[in-house]
Amino acid sequence: MIKIESLTVQFGGVRPLDALDGEFTAPICGLIGPNGAGKTTLLNVLSGFVTPVKGSVSLNGIALRPLSPVRRVAMGLRRTFQQELVVDEMTAHDNVRAIADHIAASRQEARAQIGRAMDFVGLTDRAHVPGRQLNLYERRMIEIGKTLIGKPRAILLDEPGAGLNESETERLRGLLVQIPERFGAQLVLIDHDADLIASVCVETMVLDFGKLLAFGPTRVVLDDPVVRRAYLGTA
Amino acid sequence: MTELGKTEAIDAGALPMVAARPTLEVTPRLRIVAIVVVVAVISGAIALTAGGYWLSNFTQAYCMILTLMGCAVLYGQLGLVSLCQWALVGVGGWISLRFYHYFHPPFFVTILAGGVGASAVGMIWGLPALRMRGLYLALVTLMLAGAFQTVITVTSFPVGGPGILGQVGASGNERIMMARPEIASSDTAYFLYVAFVTLLAIFLVEAHRRTKPGRAWALIRKNEQMAMASGVRIVFYKAWAFALSGFLAGVAGAMLAGLFGQLDASAFAPTDSIVIFIGTLLGGTEFWLGPFLGGILTRFIPALLIDFNVNAYVGLLFFGAALLLGLRDPVGIGGHLTGLAENLYRKFMRWRGS
Repeated sequence: MIKIESLTVQFGGVRPLDALDGEFTAPICGLIGPNGAGKTTLLNVLSGFVTPVKGSVSLNGIALRPLSPVRRVAMGLRRTFQQELVVDEMTAHDNVRAIADHIAASRQEARAQIGRAMDFVGLTDRAHVPGRQLNLYERRMIEIGKTLIGKPRAILLDEPGAGLNESETERLRGLLVQIPERFGAQLVLIDHDADLIASVCVETMVLDFGKLLAFGPTRVVLDDPVVRRAYLGTA
Repeated sequence: MTELGKTEAIDAGALPMVAARPTLEVTPRLRIVAIVVVVAVISGAIALTAGGYWLSNFTQAYCMILTLMGCAVLYGQLGLVSLCQWALVGVGGWISLRFYHYFHPPFFVTILAGGVGASAVGMIWGLPALRMRGLYLALVTLMLAGAFQTVITVTSFPVGGPGILGQVGASGNERIMMARPEIASSDTAYFLYVAFVTLLAIFLVEAHRRTKPGRAWALIRKNEQMAMASGVRIVFYKAWAFALSGFLAGVAGAMLAGLFGQLDASAFAPTDSIVIFIGTLLGGTEFWLGPFLGGILTRFIPALLIDFNVNAYVGLLFFGAALLLGLRDPVGIGGHLTGLAENLYRKFMRWRGS
């Protein structure tokens, strides 16, 4: 469970997040908003890459602010980035293994976790293919596979469906809905694809210019006229 | 939602994927055999055919190989441009000479002392890399190389005299040369000794590249935030890379000291560190063969020019041109030759299987 209280981030004269409050309680939560709304900034605060000027964030009751990014990973926080970041020179397997190196307690455990993650994302047969030979969908799957290593408690996915075609997005959707039950982790999903958000997210937070515009059950939020005007462009 | 998930999980295998190339993997064991065979054949050929001037130059070239390997770790694994590697060779040489004159230990202990000492200095010199990279790091490290040259020109290398600096000066003491190991007192035996140490160093670097530190370095080079989000302690792994790189340079310095018995301060100009970096680019950083060939070329070309009575500065023109090539070709000579060898191996295996 991710809790955000009075969170304010300031870069010079700009406030990407302004006194934000909210609590993600559902297994899969959406985070949407127009460009520049502060979505990625919120993920960066949760990951420890951006220090807020005010407010707090916590995961399962544990305050995150005093923890370094690496400590946050150790306690179960995982994330992906807008841009896929698969290392071209390493195989698909080694890309996933690179995170298991620092999280798994033993080699046996690492092997088991990597096998489980690769199997889940459907890349077992491509395990020994170098990153440079993987297509975009496979690279996105590697990124998701990495978040499943260890005991993930919360997984923050920053536009995991960016650049994927319709059938690939459909497959992504099928995998995302299984993660909370199979891996025991809460998902927070940023995406511009309202259909993807609507189909997998139980509750959704909408940001606009760093402020909370709406937060609640996804369908209700997406049907809110204020949200439609600000984000979807229709009244 | 669960139903949807189940259906999609089954369908995931039907995804259109990039057709996997029929690869015949080069196994780790085969890779080890290849390294031993290539180093043994080249070193054996040099030992059998070269003598005097050329044998000395090839021994120096092998010391260059170690230095280039360190440079390749930093640039190839982490994308960090260090222009103080040759100065670290000097640091390793100074420490090993100082250690030798104090304690007269076995030669391999002297080598280790030079390596460990330069490793510590390398870590300290690498501290700017925690905050900067690219051109700024290159400039800072080049200034460190310049600072080292200034200091070593004033203090010179120890020659067995009293005090920490070990100079003979007015004391009237004789200059003492560092002795080579008993099993490698002749030039040819010493060259083979250096070649063996180089082989061990290649395995040391390969062991790093293919295990946990190598993967951590790859993540750091790709994106530091992503590396942190993967649990990688950036400072620790960067420091580790500088320590390894310094260790290799220090071992090279100790072996150079063993080759000549002493070291000359004028041989550690900052421009040599730039040439080391160019040689690293020319050889390539992705495979062990890159620094190996790059190191030989880096010493061989100036030696060839001297042999033909051509001004050694002409060599700098060559390395300038080589820099342009190296920047445009990320895999380098070593990468191309390794790719060629692996393709030939696969063709051979397919032919044998058919």
